[in-house]
Amino acid sequence: MTQLPDKSRTADAALHSLPVEQADASSPVSRRQFLEAAGFSLSLAAVSGCGRAPVETALPFPVQPAGVIPGQLQYFASTCAGCPTACGLLVGTRDGRPLKMEGLPEHPLSQGGLCAVGQALPIGLYDSHRLTGPLSAGESAEWATVDQEIIQVLGQIKEQRQAVRLVTPTITSPTLQAHVDAFLAQFENAKHIVLDAVSSSAILDAHEQTHSARVLPHYQLDKAQVLVSFGADFLGTWISPVEFTAAWSSRREPTEEHPQMSYHVQVESRMSLTGTNADTRFTIAPREQHLVLSRLAHEVASLAGRPLAVSPPLGGSLPDTEIASMARRLWEARGESLVLCDAQDVATQIVVNNLNHLLGAYGETLDVNRPSQQRQGNDRDLKQLIEELGADQVGALLVADVDLLHELAAQPALADAVRRVPLTISFAQREDEFASLAKFVCPDHHLLESWSDAEPISGLVSLAQPTLRPLGKTRSVLESLAAWSGQPATTYEALQQHWQQAIHPRRQAAAPAEFVEFWERALHDGFIEVAAVATTGGEFAAGAMEPPAQHSPSDDFSLLLYSKASMPDSRHAHNPWLQELPDPVSKVTWGNYVCVSSADAEKHSLEDGDIVKVSAGDGGSEIELPVLVQVGQHPGVLAIALAYGCKGTDRFAKVGPQWLESRPTVLENELVGKNAAGFVEFRDGARQYNRSGVTLTKTGRQRELATTQKYNSLEVPANIAPRGGLRRDVVQHTTLAAFAQDAHAGAPEQHHDNKTQLWPEDHPKSGHAWGMVVDLNKCTGCSACVVACQSENNIPVVGYDEVRRQREMHWMRIDRYYTGEGDAMLVDHQPMMCQHCDNAPCETVCPVLATVHSSEGLNEQVYNRCVGTRYCANNCPYKVRRFNWFKYEHDDSLQNLVLNPEVTVRSRGVMEKCSLCVQRIEAGKVKARSHGQPVADGAIQTACQQSCPANAIVFGDMNDTESKVHAAQENPRSYHVLEELNVRPSVSYLRVVKNREEKDRKGEPHIG
Amino acid sequence: MQQRVITIALLIGLCFGLSLLASTMTNWRMPDNQQGYAPEQPIAYSHRLHAGELGIDCKFCHSAAELGRHAGIPSSDVCMKCHRYVTASYDVTQEKLRIADDEKKLLDEIEGKPEDQISAETMQALKDLQARADALKVPSSQLQKLYKFLALDEETMQPKEGATPQSIPWVRVHNLPDYACFNHQAHVAVGVTCQTCHGPVESMERVRQYATLSMGWCVNCHRDATRDGVNGHEVHAATDCTVCHH
Repeated sequence: MTQLPDKSRTADAALHSLPVEQADASSPVSRRQFLEAAGFSLSLAAVSGCGRAPVETALPFPVQPAGVIPGQLQYFASTCAGCPTACGLLVGTRDGRPLKMEGLPEHPLSQGGLCAVGQALPIGLYDSHRLTGPLSAGESAEWATVDQEIIQVLGQIKEQRQAVRLVTPTITSPTLQAHVDAFLAQFENAKHIVLDAVSSSAILDAHEQTHSARVLPHYQLDKAQVLVSFGADFLGTWISPVEFTAAWSSRREPTEEHPQMSYHVQVESRMSLTGTNADTRFTIAPREQHLVLSRLAHEVASLAGRPLAVSPPLGGSLPDTEIASMARRLWEARGESLVLCDAQDVATQIVVNNLNHLLGAYGETLDVNRPSQQRQGNDRDLKQLIEELGADQVGALLVADVDLLHELAAQPALADAVRRVPLTISFAQREDEFASLAKFVCPDHHLLESWSDAEPISGLVSLAQPTLRPLGKTRSVLESLAAWSGQPATTYEALQQHWQQAIHPRRQAAAPAEFVEFWERALHDGFIEVAAVATTGGEFAAGAMEPPAQHSPSDDFSLLLYSKASMPDSRHAHNPWLQELPDPVSKVTWGNYVCVSSADAEKHSLEDGDIVKVSAGDGGSEIELPVLVQVGQHPGVLAIALAYGCKGTDRFAKVGPQWLESRPTVLENELVGKNAAGFVEFRDGARQYNRSGVTLTKTGRQRELATTQKYNSLEVPANIAPRGGLRRDVVQHTTLAAFAQDAHAGAPEQHHDNKTQLWPEDHPKSGHAWGMVVDLNKCTGCSACVVACQSENNIPVVGYDEVRRQREMHWMRIDRYYTGEGDAMLVDHQPMMCQHCDNAPCETVCPVLATVHSSEGLNEQVYNRCVGTRYCANNCPYKVRRFNWFKYEHDDSLQNLVLNPEVTVRSRGVMEKCSLCVQRIEAGKVKARSHGQPVADGAIQTACQQSCPANAIVFGDMNDTESKVHAAQENPRSYHVLEELNVRPSVSYLRVVKNREEKDRKGEPHIG
Repeated sequence: MQQRVITIALLIGLCFGLSLLASTMTNWRMPDNQQGYAPEQPIAYSHRLHAGELGIDCKFCHSAAELGRHAGIPSSDVCMKCHRYVTASYDVTQEKLRIADDEKKLLDEIEGKPEDQISAETMQALKDLQARADALKVPSSQLQKLYKFLALDEETMQPKEGATPQSIPWVRVHNLPDYACFNHQAHVAVGVTCQTCHGPVESMERVRQYATLSMGWCVNCHRDATRDGVNGHEVHAATDCTVCHH
């Protein structure tokens, strides 16, 4: 009671701040009256003020470019340069600005697929943090002066015969490579060093020994009937994931007539995306790879009748029987089998080469005559460069497209060594760690602004064309190098010249003999096939198979560094779409973390979000990151993702809504994630992504992980299941053997009556009935579709805190479920979007008819009607509705250029969800109608379907009995999720078929 | 007492407001209804002249109406298809035609006659005609604006050196909100005439918004079209929300 006077004083003070003279009861106008009067005059003003909308001008082109139709998407064939894979790209531009990236359907490698990184290119283009012109000593400068100064210093370096070193990631562009060579040829001591953030240099080194050619074979997974992968995450990040996904999934389609599919075994230490899709998965410690491979080679050699002289030692986590059965299956499918391995150890890779040779894989499932050029990293050169830098032997250091200091964080003295180099030039698009030390920064174009070319596989050359004028005063690396070589040329001229001299002479018989025609065909198609460059060597020489080293067991952890499918490369660290894309396996956004196996988590009593310190032990690197308990990870293994902790990512601190209780996405003085590259060590002539002797200590602090999925199991907890241990039917499974006997195998027992209808059947489906089928057996969970949907449908980025509160806005999510334990564990990926139910539960509860059914079977969301009751989201059994809790920022006028004008930008307080890309449906219908034709099957593609590298999504008109979607729904594997609710979804799923032997596992009554 | 004063004040306010409303009742519109909007344009382009008197088809200039969602305001080079050669205003052109006719009459009269037999009046009349022709202003003030936007030299019709063409900042007349998508191609393809929505543009000196362009107006037309067809053809004009709102 003593506080009362205080309270009343504050209340008084508050009232005095109101725009009323006196706020107490004795005043002539009370607060209520004031508000009444204010409301009345406001409404009067509203009624009398129904004036004109603000004047808007429409600016047509002064001279319209040929082929441009206002408001229509125009597609240009190009080549993606998000990574060295060089997938085919269709750049959708509208009114002169690139908006939507799609896969190039005719491209022999990517076959119409495009990964999340490719889909996310546009938001990187419209980025106000990109450098807009050259910097000299940190100050912005003019190109002419920068060129003059650089040429002068290079002249001195030439005279003094100092060393010139150019560091780039793998260059697949033959023209750029030629210009790099020409630039370096000016100097006596010059070298091009290829630094791949995740290197495959051991594979190349091993082939140098066994095939006398330092090549990366072209893996042809579509020819592989039996596939054994040791750690290689080929569906996620390894070498060419889009191509491999397309090839892998082409063998994952068993039909009633041909119940056959490939057999895929994954032997790995952490839970990779590829591992989650394998038929059989085993975990081993990272250092056991060599041992297990040697034993496998021994078994296969015995089967081949060519037993190895030295038998490998016994032991390891993998039982003999499993190795023997793996060897048997590989041998039975010889010529159609393949062994892959991601080890950065030449001895291990030599074993792999021997295995593949024994299996007759060379020339069948892997090709060294038309090798891949997607990884050219040479770690020995890199090691030498670091030594030279330390000894001050480098006169000029040029770094393009990679942050040298970020990737080589394990070399603490490197920054000082770089500072001592007389001439340092960075070509970075944003000020990264190296660029901030470099004397000159000569920013490169964004790849959508520049001409380029690529030869990812020897004999397949493709062109990349600019789709808009450079937004800033940037210049391509090629032009910069040409200017400093004294032969300035535009990239376009350089390309044409190189193609005329080097590519056109390699043309095949069917290709035009005239260069102009040849060029135009390549430009139109995006690629052209030419003769492969003959590789030297090629004859197999067994190479010395070293016996695997013996490891004594220790209590220390092994650390495995990997890259995420959602963030494969630190070059994309500034991309908010990729930062917010949930990792396909862990479902964590915004940052990296330490993956700890369940056994270790129990042993050290660790939980998700506990911050731990991981140290390399030798007084070297250490890192503090939150823990993620990852099932399916080998005990004693820690895994941390690379490509995080990049300079400048503190820009995302305020991404998402800022309100009273919001937590920043990036903490003060921190970055998005931490850089784990400090743990990469040079060993055996290669950069190693695993190391042993790592310790883990708890810090006692916590940082909650922003996870999009909190419930991970399909098993009904025993306490709520009536008979205990039931398995939910959301994802249905069967085995190949069971499927061969009964194509409907795996379907759950029907306990429900789907005949009875609550609603009368008074709206027959005439005309179109749009539907979708997702083949869960092909879907790998790669999440390309999630970003494709985000790009197509103007989905905002909400930041760490909102994701943590389960308020992410992605219209499409990929649910990932674990069932079972140990090596028998099943992992499922299930893309989940609005199911467009015929009996939609959301529609019946909306009080304002903001969600209604269309005559074509779509569940429509009408933003202008929505008042935000959120009843629909509560009543949705699939939980696919997203509510705009905030008006997500659209302040950055440059970034707003990424918005698709065909899709409304939603405002605060309305519900939204997947529309089955209704804007594409309407556009497709109009296009057909203007030609007087019915809508052809396949003419309308949703954004997710178009991008899917696995071709797992089919969309079309279910009323068209000839359509693919109709056929897919008639597939015996087809089912609806939560069928028992009788909501009659328009989206069906095709049951998973695992090519594994039936194992009697408790709690999985539906298997087999 | 206080209460009564306030009530009276509010009532007076209400009456005043209503009287204001009553005076504007004749052109009372729903919020956002822009019907009748006819802003002044940077160039006084006359649809009456081009589409009406000269009978140029709408789609000659608005060619994108057949090809895509937007009919599009034609780019300035479309104007130049004719106005590279026709540089005078319509009145001047008509006057020139009249002068030419008069001149021809006079010339016909004196044709074949020896020079000394031609009367002084006729010669004077010819000279007057020439003077009248010379006095006509070419090019027209409106076309001069066009050439200025395109940075063209009026004599040679070639781009001026160093100058870049500018877009003409036309004021948008028909402006749907961003959440509504009207597709021109869809309507043109089934034979809906331009006048159905845009009104008698061929009689408008300055374009004005003819219809309300409200949702009710769209939906009514869609229902009528589904019932009655368009130009004798059966059509299915959907009234699903997402046809226009996506």
